[in-house]
Amino acid sequence: MLVNGKDFSSRASKAPADAGLQQQVSNLKTGFVAARARAVAALPEYEAMRDAGAAIKDHTLANLDFYLERFERAVVDRGGHVHWAADAEEACRIVREICTRTGARTVTKGKSMVSEEIGLNEALEADGLDVVETDAGEYIVQLAKEAPSHIVMPTVHKTTNEISDLFFEHHRRHGFSERVTDAAELIAQVRSVMREKYFSADIGITGANFLVAETGSNIIVTNEGNGDLTCTLARVHIVTAGIEKVVPTLNDASVLLRLLARSALGIETTSYTTLSTGPRRPGDADGPEEYHVVLVDNGRTKMLSGAFRPMLRCIRCGACMNHCPVYLAVGGHTYASVYPGPMGAVLTPMIARHEAANELPHACTLNGRCQQVCPVKIPLPDLLRRLRHEQWEDGFIKGRSRWGLGVWSWLATRPALYRVATRLGVQVLRWLGRSRGRIGHLPLAGEWTAGRDLPAPQGTTFHAAWAKRKRQP
Amino acid sequence: MTEARRDTVLARIRAALGDRHRTRDELATLDRRLNAPPVGVRPKLHDDPLSQFITKAQANLCTVERIASLQMLVPAILRLLPPPPQKPDISVAPALAHLGWPADWSINFGAGRRTEPLSVTLAVAGIAETGSVVLRSAPASPTTLNFLPDMHVVVLRADDVVAHTEDAWARLRAEGGDWPRTVNIIAGPSRTADVGGIIVRPAHGPKSVHLVLCDS
Ligand code: SF4
Repeated sequence: MLVNGKDFSSRASKAPADAGLQQQVSNLKTGFVAARARAVAALPEYEAMRDAGAAIKDHTLANLDFYLERFERAVVDRGGHVHWAADAEEACRIVREICTRTGARTVTKGKSMVSEEIGLNEALEADGLDVVETDAGEYIVQLAKEAPSHIVMPTVHKTTNEISDLFFEHHRRHGFSERVTDAAELIAQVRSVMREKYFSADIGITGANFLVAETGSNIIVTNEGNGDLTCTLARVHIVTAGIEKVVPTLNDASVLLRLLARSALGIETTSYTTLSTGPRRPGDADGPEEYHVVLVDNGRTKMLSGAFRPMLRCIRCGACMNHCPVYLAVGGHTYASVYPGPMGAVLTPMIARHEAANELPHACTLNGRCQQVCPVKIPLPDLLRRLRHEQWEDGFIKGRSRWGLGVWSWLATRPALYRVATRLGVQVLRWLGRSRGRIGHLPLAGEWTAGRDLPAPQGTTFHAAWAKRKRQP
Repeated sequence: MTEARRDTVLARIRAALGDRHRTRDELATLDRRLNAPPVGVRPKLHDDPLSQFITKAQANLCTVERIASLQMLVPAILRLLPPPPQKPDISVAPALAHLGWPADWSINFGAGRRTEPLSVTLAVAGIAETGSVVLRSAPASPTTLNFLPDMHVVVLRADDVVAHTEDAWARLRAEGGDWPRTVNIIAGPSRTADVGGIIVRPAHGPKSVHLVLCDS
């Protein structure tokens, strides 16, 4: 997994100047936020459904061993195989072994965030396999050698012109020598390239939106039909899924599917919802000969044990990032993690090691919008605050921040002194901004004031204002 | 090796949950929940199921046509095909093979082909809530016919329209036998918005979906 959370601040300070990125991200703000709001408003039962969704997830997580074993039994009963992977490396090894055993050369892939998390493409390519992402968006970022910038809309950062350049460069070998700039023609090329790939694929890898213990099925949702062709036409279907993806029954999956479509895209349902259960049956004219599910832990049991368990309710809808002022200002790539935005700021440090994703939990203003829109009511701000606290306790926060926060907490627990200090602080700031009402450079906060001015304080301190209001009738 | 990995992950899960043993009663409760799945809150329908199904399917950009009986299916398909002299070359699910297809058409009663102008399949249910159709895989009903054609024609008996997804699951469970290898719920043509946020149809699947509702 690509994690470089340490450079978050330097990348973040460049993002607001990137005009292309800002244009694309504004589509998220207007289009998806409005569509979700409409879809939610059209459903009087929505709040009750959120409660039901959160309750289903909590119940499953509290009995996770039971449901995973039931899921496993149901898969095996129908001729499939279940593999368990403690970490990313084990998960990749399991998939590589299946590829080697079956003599695979070509691998088609439906969208799978877990496969990105475990770095599966790189592992398979290192073995000399031809790995093709079939989702149009994932294919585009694969050609561009980039990471997705959004978990639902991987190309939200790319302009049509960039995609046109990319296809012009890469599609000549597929017989497309003309440069095209029209979205429909660009997608027609993807369709044509993929048709060949689906039929020649030895292995088809998909993720799972849900795993169903009742039947041993994996469920994927798509609008394109790519994951569905991937798992039907390849000789071997491999599902990579986090252990938290299991739900007890099909009815439980229905509740969560309703929440997912509305929260992700503002629609009632995607074009396709596909359940796959085991390999080809006797007499079937299509379907894979082998069916495997790789259940991936990779840090999830660590979350399960403590205060971070609610994070495992996440159904990867992306609503929290569409509504996050920080994500919208800096874009998904700034997080340099497979999972960006608020959910990523919690998940990444739990999945990767703390040090690697140190800064992500701080990329948050604690405004709370993510929690308000999360379909399974994950208390994201609380979890982020908790992560910050743990980092403090573990000594990950160092240097000037640690010293500054230390001074602040010493002061804040001494009210009289705190009042004196803040009064003094306001006066100093007012003096610094005396000519323009703004402060262009602030000692100790040079990085911050390099990109913007700090408004000089207008009134007195909060305490003084509060005391004055209380005195008024 | 495989067993060891399984034990490691399960042991970690149990440890995270406090290594508590479930009583026989608790296990029975969990089993009951699996064997008689509870039905939770569902969206209220705005109309009778069949009317809502048609409205929603059309809103999903499916075209809908009603026929009185399956005997009318072949003429209905003929109207969808390009005019002569082109000879029809289509795929039909073996489940519909008995319907008296013209001998001079070229018809593939099998899995979908790489180039597939039109396929005709039979749905097991329609879902009024979302205007979706439910297709199950079987020797007489290959899954690839749902995704490879340019035009996907889905035949559905009006009686098979149910209110919610949960009702469709109940039907499939009640059929007995083994749970199908593949179940596809389809709500309209294939689409993507991955280039510049512009919606394009089709992406990888059918460009159009035509529903033929059969009254008897
Ligand atoms: S945290 Fe909630 S809002 Fe964010 S992706 Fe997960 S389910 Fe969606």
